[in-house]
Amino acid sequence: MNNTPINLRIKFKKVGTLQYISHLDLVRTMHKIVTRARLPLWYTEGFNPKPKMVFAAPLSIGTESVCEFMDLRLSERCDTEWAIRSLNENMTDELVVLDAYYPETKHTDLKWLGYTIEIDTLGASADLADRCNAAFLSESIRVNKKAKLGGAEMEIKPLIKSAVAEYRDGRIYLECILSADASAFLNPEYVVKYLKGSVGILSSENLFSEGYSIFRHSAYKGDMSPFA
Amino acid sequence: MKLMETPHISSILKSIEKPGRYIGGEYNRIMKDVDAVKCRFAFAFPDTYEIGMSNLGVRILYDVLNKDPDVWCERVYAPWTDMLEKMKEYSIPLTTQESGDELGCFDLIGFSLQYELCYTTALAMMKMAGIPIFTKDREESCPIIIGGGPCVYNPEPIADFFDVINVGEGEEVLLEICHLYIDMKERGEYTRAAFLRAASGIEGVYVPSLYDVIYNDDGTIREFVPKYDELPRRIKKRIIEDLDTVSYPEKLVMPYIETVHDRIVLEIYRGCIRGCRFCQAGMVYRPIREKSPEVLSKCARCLYDSTGYDEISLISLSISDYSKLRELTDSLLEWTDEANVSLSLPSLRIDSFSEELMQKVSSVRTGGITFAPEAGTQRLRDVINKNVTEEDLMRSVGIAFRGGKSNVKLYFMNGLPTETEEDIKGIADLAGSVVREYYRMPKEERPRGVGVTISVSCFVPKPFTPFQWEKQDSYETLMEKQEYLKACITDRKKIRYTYHDAKVSRLEAVFARGDRRLAPAIALAVEEGMIFDAWEEYFDYDKWVDIFARCGIDIDFYTTRGFALDEVLPWDIIDCGVTKEFLLRERERAYAEKTTPSCKEHCNGCGANKLGGKNRWCPQWHGKGGDEE
Repeated sequence: MNNTPINLRIKFKKVGTLQYISHLDLVRTMHKIVTRARLPLWYTEGFNPKPKMVFAAPLSIGTESVCEFMDLRLSERCDTEWAIRSLNENMTDELVVLDAYYPETKHTDLKWLGYTIEIDTLGASADLADRCNAAFLSESIRVNKKAKLGGAEMEIKPLIKSAVAEYRDGRIYLECILSADASAFLNPEYVVKYLKGSVGILSSENLFSEGYSIFRHSAYKGDMSPFA
Repeated sequence: MKLMETPHISSILKSIEKPGRYIGGEYNRIMKDVDAVKCRFAFAFPDTYEIGMSNLGVRILYDVLNKDPDVWCERVYAPWTDMLEKMKEYSIPLTTQESGDELGCFDLIGFSLQYELCYTTALAMMKMAGIPIFTKDREESCPIIIGGGPCVYNPEPIADFFDVINVGEGEEVLLEICHLYIDMKERGEYTRAAFLRAASGIEGVYVPSLYDVIYNDDGTIREFVPKYDELPRRIKKRIIEDLDTVSYPEKLVMPYIETVHDRIVLEIYRGCIRGCRFCQAGMVYRPIREKSPEVLSKCARCLYDSTGYDEISLISLSISDYSKLRELTDSLLEWTDEANVSLSLPSLRIDSFSEELMQKVSSVRTGGITFAPEAGTQRLRDVINKNVTEEDLMRSVGIAFRGGKSNVKLYFMNGLPTETEEDIKGIADLAGSVVREYYRMPKEERPRGVGVTISVSCFVPKPFTPFQWEKQDSYETLMEKQEYLKACITDRKKIRYTYHDAKVSRLEAVFARGDRRLAPAIALAVEEGMIFDAWEEYFDYDKWVDIFARCGIDIDFYTTRGFALDEVLPWDIIDCGVTKEFLLRERERAYAEKTTPSCKEHCNGCGANKLGGKNRWCPQWHGKGGDEE
């Protein structure tokens, strides 16, 4: 029984209401899913053995995603098609495995993440989209790191690879590619926050009349080739 | 409107704590086609999602109801106050987890009433659903509101709010209620009044609105007067005859967020052989009925496969009293170790704690262990019939220390009948002895850093216990006792002392021993926005005092007053199996400082054997009477 443990990379989506589940709760949920799925799990040593799972670029609450990556440590190789099927039999329709494979890259190879941010704000128009785009052209893009005023300011311009706003069907759609580097991860919430301050979107206090959603859809390596 | 279809629900959910409480969609939840079922049942838990999801009763009854193809049972929990505010601000109604439909469109709503301080939360949930809180104000189209759980052994304080009370175990009764509802609807005979009257004929069902209560001049109850001749004079508790054949969940709804008891819970038996004289559960869940190790083992394996939980908790009132504990743990350990699943036991009696047991329950996850001597001296432990000695405790903590546990928690109660200063000092002395027991071990064998926690609650006289008539100490007396105990503890470094707020216990006593005249006060409290009384941050004793005063209610009548032995008690309308004669005998023995042997050693004629039941300790039931002493 001295098989070398091997990592299985699982690409999954976490959408719909599951955007309200925190990363910590996702880890707990996955732990039970991989147990139910009867994968040949490798357990940590010690008094309290647990399966070993490592997630790339954890999602924050309020973001949906169709490109999440988790490396699961197995005690032996198993058929990846079977693994996908078995996992999905134990998941709900808002948490679904899209792919499973034995990876050639490391999580640290993931450098950029692509998002669509859909903004439903009072005063949405083509003009407002233009003003958003103008705001992204600014020399410096600074946001407050804390919710309260007076927190430390952070320069996020270098963390934005690209950001383009477009007006469509009464809403502003923002396509952006943001840094996913572990040391310089940019939460897309900061981009929304920047536009709130600079362009004045989402200024009403009424939670019913305005809102936005964030959708993570693509992952890239440093050379902008797809991460897998 | 369904919650998730609310405009910009995302903004609302992102602005509150733990939005995962409200999203539903859990793995293993039961979805059905609304048009294919004949009865929609909402199982309401008047506390947060995390607490409600952990409740075994809800898990069992959700499963039982949903196994019936005619019924769809869904879950609903009380939204926390941050969400509650948003729901009020944006007129969002209370909805269930499964379909997301409003509570108002259900046929039946069953509330699980687990502790007295959940009453305002239950009523607030009705209000959020747009359902009038008083039975008398409900229109024909209103759902039928059912109450069940341990609180309904004295249903009187909430009698005006619930259409139907389910007394005892609900597996069969709730289905009978659903089918009566379906039948009457199909035959076109359904009206609220006709349904309630018919429901009162189901064994274990109490329809409070069909009884009038008449009071004496001194405020005590004179009698309960049924409005119709066919109504039962007392409502007999229902029990499940055979726990081996009754349905038990094969799967559990899997919460996405962490809940209080996030694990597999195996119910080993119901009832208790001990008879501690302050303990309501030990009386009202009689007769004891065990499940066989074979059934339990199968059930555990099945739940592991369907949930993926890595912990199995064996529960019952006193786990070590289970007659086949060794067989059960051995058969579980055959596969749990290999699957990296651990066993845990929440309640251990001091007199049966063994090295073998401790090794079987992988207790490595916590460095601590809890015991409940309940009282500080042998005299008072005899009064309450705890039947454990200081030697038992020292032996048990010795085993725990040798097994690597360094933290021992001890539960006690203040304000027990006949308690003296000596008994209180005894608590501190006992904790001191535990510390000394630690130092008696050779240094190299001791786990590091001994700590003893004394956790002291206040005695609340509970219905259907030998102490049901006793007065509760006044708030001032309880505070003095707590202060005195604090002064008795000399080793503040090793011994930690925590105590319950006596004000909470006082309110619990009001609700535990109250009658129908409390209803206006509870309604007023809900009207003024009170909710989550069981939560420290929302418990407002002064406000309650004010509300009772405004409603002309004297709290002392229900708390510091000793009830007369021949008085008609508010809960006399319920027959829980255990007879008043037995409780009186036990009360006399308490004052005589005499213990009573467990059911295993000797039948004490409590009367619960007349309810039936398989795999029990009771002598053979011959079809009549209870007192076979």
